[in-house]
Amino acid sequence: MTRCLFSNKLENCVTLWRSAGYSVIGPVRKDATSSYAAVEHAADFDLGMVLPDRSIKELFFPQTEPMLHYTIKQQAINTEEFTPPAGKRIIFGVRPCDASGLSIDDPLFGWDYKDEYWFQRRNESVIVTIACTKADDFCLCTSLKLAPDSTNGSDILLRPLENNNGWQVEELTERGREAFSAIAELLQEASEPTAPLAVVPEMFNLDTCVAWLQNPENFESKFWKDISMRCIGCGSCTYLCPTCHCFDIQDEGDTYSGIRRKNWDSCSFALFTMHTSGHNPRSTQSARWRQRIMHKFNYFPGKFSVNSCSGCGRCTRQCPVDMGITETLQKISTLHP
Amino acid sequence: MITQEKYRSKAKKLLAEGSVKMVIGYSPGSTPDRRRPVFIRSFDEADQLVLDSNCIANLSGYLVSEGLLSDEKHVAIFLRPDGIRSINILAAESQLNVDQIIIFGFDTNGNEVRALTGEHAGEFSEFIGSIKEHPPEKSRDPLLYQIEQMNPQERFAFWKDEFSRCIKCYACRQACPMCYCRRCIVDSNQPQWINTSSHTLGNFEWNVVRAFHLAGRCVGCGNCDRACPVNIPLRLINSRMAEEVLDSFDHFAGLNPAQEPVLASFKKDDSETFIL
Amino acid sequence: MKIVGRHDEAPGVKTMRLEFQNPADHEEFRQKYRTGMFGLYGVYGEGESTFCVASPETRTDYIECTFRQSGRVTSALANADIGDLITFRGPYGNRFPIETFHGKNLLFISGGIALPPTRSVIWSCLDQREKFGKVTIIYGARTVADLVYKHELDEWQERADVDLVLTVDPGGESPDWKNKVGFVPTVLEEAAPSPENCIAVICGPPIMIKFTLISLKKLGFDETNVYTTLENRMKCGVGKCGRCNVGSIYVCKEGPVFTAAEVSRMPAADL
Repeated sequence: MTRCLFSNKLENCVTLWRSAGYSVIGPVRKDATSSYAAVEHAADFDLGMVLPDRSIKELFFPQTEPMLHYTIKQQAINTEEFTPPAGKRIIFGVRPCDASGLSIDDPLFGWDYKDEYWFQRRNESVIVTIACTKADDFCLCTSLKLAPDSTNGSDILLRPLENNNGWQVEELTERGREAFSAIAELLQEASEPTAPLAVVPEMFNLDTCVAWLQNPENFESKFWKDISMRCIGCGSCTYLCPTCHCFDIQDEGDTYSGIRRKNWDSCSFALFTMHTSGHNPRSTQSARWRQRIMHKFNYFPGKFSVNSCSGCGRCTRQCPVDMGITETLQKISTLHP
Repeated sequence: MITQEKYRSKAKKLLAEGSVKMVIGYSPGSTPDRRRPVFIRSFDEADQLVLDSNCIANLSGYLVSEGLLSDEKHVAIFLRPDGIRSINILAAESQLNVDQIIIFGFDTNGNEVRALTGEHAGEFSEFIGSIKEHPPEKSRDPLLYQIEQMNPQERFAFWKDEFSRCIKCYACRQACPMCYCRRCIVDSNQPQWINTSSHTLGNFEWNVVRAFHLAGRCVGCGNCDRACPVNIPLRLINSRMAEEVLDSFDHFAGLNPAQEPVLASFKKDDSETFIL
Repeated sequence: MKIVGRHDEAPGVKTMRLEFQNPADHEEFRQKYRTGMFGLYGVYGEGESTFCVASPETRTDYIECTFRQSGRVTSALANADIGDLITFRGPYGNRFPIETFHGKNLLFISGGIALPPTRSVIWSCLDQREKFGKVTIIYGARTVADLVYKHELDEWQERADVDLVLTVDPGGESPDWKNKVGFVPTVLEEAAPSPENCIAVICGPPIMIKFTLISLKKLGFDETNVYTTLENRMKCGVGKCGRCNVGSIYVCKEGPVFTAAEVSRMPAADL
């Protein structure tokens, strides 16, 4: 017997959570695209999709976010800092890859200066992950040593039942327990078996790839030019990636008042690293693609002991020229280290 | 299949005899219905080339990659009619020399692929003219009719909602063969013409400015629409602008390499409905 | 911070002296600042720009910064006048470990607008001159007009305890130029300072650093005794925004000061 949440109780859950002061967020399809968005009713969830087009990142690190408001008057500068809107929230139906993405970026936002925008939202969010029972051609979590039921970054893991009528509940953190205590009355002990997990074939051997990337000789390999020749340098892979975290800071306003904002930025863009002098350390698209791969699988793990990729596959799924991490690492895994 | 074989052997021949340095075409992608751009440099690689109805992307933008054509050597490229129109515009705007381009022209109808007759841009003018005179049926997006029925407030609300998803990745720009500027207006910050943030104002500024820059230049290839990771129906804006330019100036973009850019040329009989 | 001094160094290059408005901020700066660190200087409405603190750690009543007017922020800074307020974030980054240079000869090599970071170290050492051996400064610019801190160059030239070698690129000399003509690495090889018990500090454009490192190697300098600073594009200054990355290094946190040995382990093409 395990504690289960049955689908027919989901609407009651949403109501209870909302009355307990949580806002409820989950996968939603609207217009031509899908994302994690706020819902009022369980029926608004679209729990059938493999994963939303847009990653969970934007709920913690929005594409544009005000940092401070300034006013300048007679030789006095006044600034008022924005802090993210406070409030507990439950993000229901998160995919394990998206949840892992959050835990991958925690050390980055936490080393040295602690990014309060990120951590306030992290602390106030309960990640209720649903293990995957289906995958598509682009999913690659297993290649990253993760799985359709990875628990990284999650507060609760739900395992879908075989009859597709609910989930087994695994409480992983205190925050998760607290959120589920609000709906304790709706949970039932049951012995229904869980549905088989999605089969995600391993696309490459990560260790082989990492060994190749770590060999300094391969930095100048012709491989980088060949693989990235068709890259058009749009930032979609980085913007959809649950772990890409680069940003820009921009002022909007005049000499009297305005707002300083933090906006997503991308290592795919030529201007990203361009010095004022015109010198650009990464002046070619191949250098920028190499940086992205190196950063994810060599530099970032070297610093934070975790790969900066959770295997969601969005980079390939949405790439206008059918590139992505999978193809690059698949090819690398066939090269001599 | 016949067309694919025909162009494969043509590619092999041209590469083997050295009359082109590269063939830009399509190869199999990561799923059965995906095709990815490929750059073939020697005849023994030419078997990677595929041609079928999944070959949709307009590849002409690669021709203006920095340095590709600067050695004056020839390059062959697979192009649909819209792609041929693109290179005509690029030629008219002095971005490339069409004499360096060998066109592997093709068109699709359902699953059928047929080769277009001709090899150099100028040879397709008559064919493109016939598209202007007889636009293919059902080519107009039904959503356009719906939007035209809206009043200005509803239209604004419609686009505000669509643009609210914009994440300013600029994939539309990068995928567009017409967006070849080395430094885009959004990347200029003295002055900062366009807000870089993806809030309502910034998103409107960007998408509206892009629409105006493409007026009379867009061939409707759909690269921007397919590239958009948040599926904003960008094609609607640009195809509507193309209709506007056709009505106002009888201009069909990319008719031939010598066609003058409509908004950069002046004719005495240009219609002027708002000045005077 | 309030601009209390403003000086034109060279065409388009200005030095500003800034004073803290808030005593607590000033105290924090005094505690933290060591030569080599940088800051983000900003004008609200335009943004922030990264450059070093050009004043030495031995003089912390104020901050001096020197910059070339080239982008949106530096133009706004250049247009600011004495009495105007600008913002400063920092000091950030690591430092030149000058206490480990005690008792050693010092060789400073700098090019063009990169003298400011070198100047901060130079004064930090000259202000406690007795702790160091011989001090040699090699400074070059494209033209005579492009040399910055001209009055300080005169001062160093007159000091008996400093050897100053000035040079301008061929074609950049003026009719009354009495110093050398030639690129910095060439002039360095001519001057041939001894690597014996010597620390070298080099700052300059990437291309100058590249060739100067080769020349220093030729002269027998050990890579661990050669220091440089990397002036990458930065936005956040606190190891988050990603743009200053060179390999696994966040220049804003782990730099900007590196030994040549550390630089040689970085992917050269990404510098």
